[in-house]
Amino acid sequence: MFNTTIANLIGLSWWKKVSTAIMFVAVLLFVLVWILPLVGAIFTALRPLQDLRAHGFWSIPQEFTLENFAVAWDLGNLNTYLKNSFIITIPSLLGTLTLSSLVGFAVSQYKFRGNMFVYLLFLSGMLLPFQILLIPVFTLSNYLGIYNTYLGLIMIHIVFQMGFCSFFLTNFMSTIPSQLAEAARIDGCSEFKIFYKIFLPLTKPALAALGTLQFTWIFNDYIWALVLIRSDSLKPVTAGLATLQGQYTTDWGVLVAGSLLAAIPTIIVFILLQKYFIKGLTMGMGK
Amino acid sequence: MKRDKFFSPWLFLILPLLLYAIWVVIPAFYTFFLSLTRYDGLLSPEFIGLANYERLFSHDTFYISLLNNLRWVVVFLIVPVTMGLFLAILLSKKIPGARLFKALIYSPMVLAPVVIGLIWTWIYSPRSGLLNHTLTLVGLQTLTRGWLSDPDIAIYAIIFAGVWRHTGYVMLIYLAGLTSIPPDLIEAARIDGASAWQRFRHIIFPLLKPTTTIVIVITMIESLRSFDFVNIMTDGGPFRQTEVLANFMYKEAFARYNMGYGASIAVILFLIMVIFIFIYVIQRREEYGGGEKVV
Amino acid sequence: MKKIIIFTLAFCLLLSFGVAVEADSLDGELIIDAYTSDPAPRAAMNEMVETFQEMHPDLDIELNITAHEDFKHAIRTWLASDTPPDVFTWFAGERAEYFVRNNLIRDITHIWEEEGLFDLYAEGYQRESIFDDKAYFLPHQTYIWGVFYNQEIFADLGLEEPETWDELIEVNETLKENDITPFTIGSRYEWTTAGWFDHLNIRINGFDFHQEFVTGEVPMTDDRVVKVFEKWKELIESDYFIEYPASYSWHEALEYMEDDEAAMYLMGSFIHDSATDELSEKLSFFPFPAIEKSPTAVEAPIDGYMMPVHAQNVEAGEEFLRFAASVEGQQNWVEDVGRVVPNPNVPEESYDEETLRERELIDGAEGIAQFLDRDMEEDFAITMMGYLVEFWENPEHYMDILERLEDERQFHFEQ
Repeated sequence: MFNTTIANLIGLSWWKKVSTAIMFVAVLLFVLVWILPLVGAIFTALRPLQDLRAHGFWSIPQEFTLENFAVAWDLGNLNTYLKNSFIITIPSLLGTLTLSSLVGFAVSQYKFRGNMFVYLLFLSGMLLPFQILLIPVFTLSNYLGIYNTYLGLIMIHIVFQMGFCSFFLTNFMSTIPSQLAEAARIDGCSEFKIFYKIFLPLTKPALAALGTLQFTWIFNDYIWALVLIRSDSLKPVTAGLATLQGQYTTDWGVLVAGSLLAAIPTIIVFILLQKYFIKGLTMGMGK
Repeated sequence: MKRDKFFSPWLFLILPLLLYAIWVVIPAFYTFFLSLTRYDGLLSPEFIGLANYERLFSHDTFYISLLNNLRWVVVFLIVPVTMGLFLAILLSKKIPGARLFKALIYSPMVLAPVVIGLIWTWIYSPRSGLLNHTLTLVGLQTLTRGWLSDPDIAIYAIIFAGVWRHTGYVMLIYLAGLTSIPPDLIEAARIDGASAWQRFRHIIFPLLKPTTTIVIVITMIESLRSFDFVNIMTDGGPFRQTEVLANFMYKEAFARYNMGYGASIAVILFLIMVIFIFIYVIQRREEYGGGEKVV
Repeated sequence: MKKIIIFTLAFCLLLSFGVAVEADSLDGELIIDAYTSDPAPRAAMNEMVETFQEMHPDLDIELNITAHEDFKHAIRTWLASDTPPDVFTWFAGERAEYFVRNNLIRDITHIWEEEGLFDLYAEGYQRESIFDDKAYFLPHQTYIWGVFYNQEIFADLGLEEPETWDELIEVNETLKENDITPFTIGSRYEWTTAGWFDHLNIRINGFDFHQEFVTGEVPMTDDRVVKVFEKWKELIESDYFIEYPASYSWHEALEYMEDDEAAMYLMGSFIHDSATDELSEKLSFFPFPAIEKSPTAVEAPIDGYMMPVHAQNVEAGEEFLRFAASVEGQQNWVEDVGRVVPNPNVPEESYDEETLRERELIDGAEGIAQFLDRDMEEDFAITMMGYLVEFWENPEHYMDILERLEDERQFHFEQ
């Protein structure tokens, strides 16, 4: 009421400018505080420990150094951990997307007894607390001889993420008109070909969105790596950071530098594929 | 043709369902079985009936954990949801740099919880941390403390790290929800002389109701995934005061080798989650008019 | 006849290559898991493994070093798996016995016999390695717990190593008057508090009571236990410790000593591994002062090696243990890390002054405690240490805390 009255009095465009400016400053201040932890972390990582210990965080930096990053990368084994993260994440991602698109196609395109059951099965898997699987999956991996291997970790990622991915892809594929499949069938197309040649290409945007999202989720996993990997040489970067924490507990520069290095891949994915990432998050809601 | 149509879905489903059964469905049930045994991970499980649950319900760590999980849920439902909504409304307006601001606000959510946990552990560190140094800088020395070792505030300090990650997520969902509101509707209200608050209260918020439901469900689920933060930041300390069910379970099963007991905690966590799933399914049914398929 | 010739020839061939074959016959993969993750022990471990590698070039050695705390959590998982390491670092005493009881560990009595360790190693080491007359554990190194202090600060303030409780209190007061916190401690990982409990308990109630206590048969509300907490409470309430101990790992709490803000740390001698060189040079130690009992019992946890029963490369693993029992396999730990080692043939010159003093104290001790969480059943010890941290935060509620701890004890030991 008030602002409209004033706006009328002093001219709409002028008021709009002022209110925009106020909002801009408010948001700017908020954002600055919001990202202070990240910016602070970057500055800490760039400064030598002695400088920080002697003068405190808010002192004027005496010098900048990449030493902390070098230590974390080399002595802290971040190079191995990051490599492992990719070796684990990429096959997991491909596997889960492939299997889930099969589920999505079957559940959304066929009316069959059990359809609803399958859908709910994967839906509940999506919401299942992983804790309930920890002990048995550890036992199972051990039994299958894939404990402490990349494969053991990849398998649980593929299968566990199928819950969310199947749910997501079923929702998406059910928006594709089933007449498309009918027409292809009349033309004598096999069921698999319908899936492969018609539905999969149409699902590409959803797969891109889902893939981006899943990449960060699998890459960021911590607990499965903790439970299923023993060797330091096989650990992905999240579990590796916990090791680094045990190792450099006094040296915040190295720890923070290690955290930042660990974050780089997801940040790159995020910057390059932001559009898909956001789409993935909001599409998952069935919007 | 008919036979074909009958078998086809199952041909597509057989491999996914098989893997799913082996890695998810059977293990989930196996946990129920384990929760009725004493199992140290070395010898075979020994059936002991409901003894683990009896122990659990008389164990103060269980209640501390439950209370802390509740704190996560409550704080998560209040802080990130309100802040996310507020930010979404602000940033849906034409502000210079809105795109960049949005990206900066939700950037924490791409970081691994472990990464965030470690960075915030540094921030809270009493001697080297950003927070105490900043408080000292602005003359608020009296507020400095051991953020993660003070039993009264440590849990909130951890939750805040979670809030920092989650707020951007909420903002994103609300931003998507806002685009579905026709701008004419708001413009019309403005012309009718409705104040900003009135427009929000009577038009925007009611229209965002479905979005809010989704935000609430997702927030509740996220708040149960507090394991990474607690594990890396305090591991439940000082003296169990920041313990949450997930970390309690992990420690019992994998650090103290009471796997049967750990399984019983997992079952309780599962039951709590079932309640959320129930709310979620009901909500979706309502939204889509209770049709045959809930998609 | 032909056969005999062939046999003879083959035998000669074998003999002639015998020595070479024996030295280099080890191959395959040898997996060693270790918790020596602090920089100095890590380097020593690497050096030790490298030396062993040079002796057996065909062996493919994988050394996994995991952070101490993680290692303790993970080892059960590894042992229960079908692909355990071949050799792993572990702790003597109840911790080792637990795995032995569960049939997870290889009997290495024959190595003890062949290397003559039964005669060579002191009684204290043997008691912690042999269970039911069979050797399962190879003790490799130990270190003493004591009060490590900054000699420079002590000299500046004219302080001397306290030998009695009253002298300790005097030292504390003088330090406080000079704005130096007497003790630092980091209890983010809760075990450091157990060092205080053990020492107070041993000095107030004696070593025999300590041995009884760790069996879990003494109620927590027993007067003798209560007395420990009353004494402890005095210390905490007199502000003899740094602020927010639970914020720091034990390494982080060292910063207080590095910055001359605190003067003492009740810690194992591995404190030198993590202290800066500058601080390390200033450090010396004294045994925890006498309270009601004189300081003749020491706390000296023994670390060593064990082999899982499912070890894949038994031959190489056993050879590594033989190496670890030898002077060459132990010497560098004395020289580089400052540990006390069980092999008495390691020359005295290898030890520095302080470590030699440690060795004397260990050899002359009335009893050697292994540390609360190694002497006591670990599951309970973990619970108890949580309560110790709680006590540290709320010392005035010690009776309430002890009563709750007593409930836990009853639950655990009368299960």
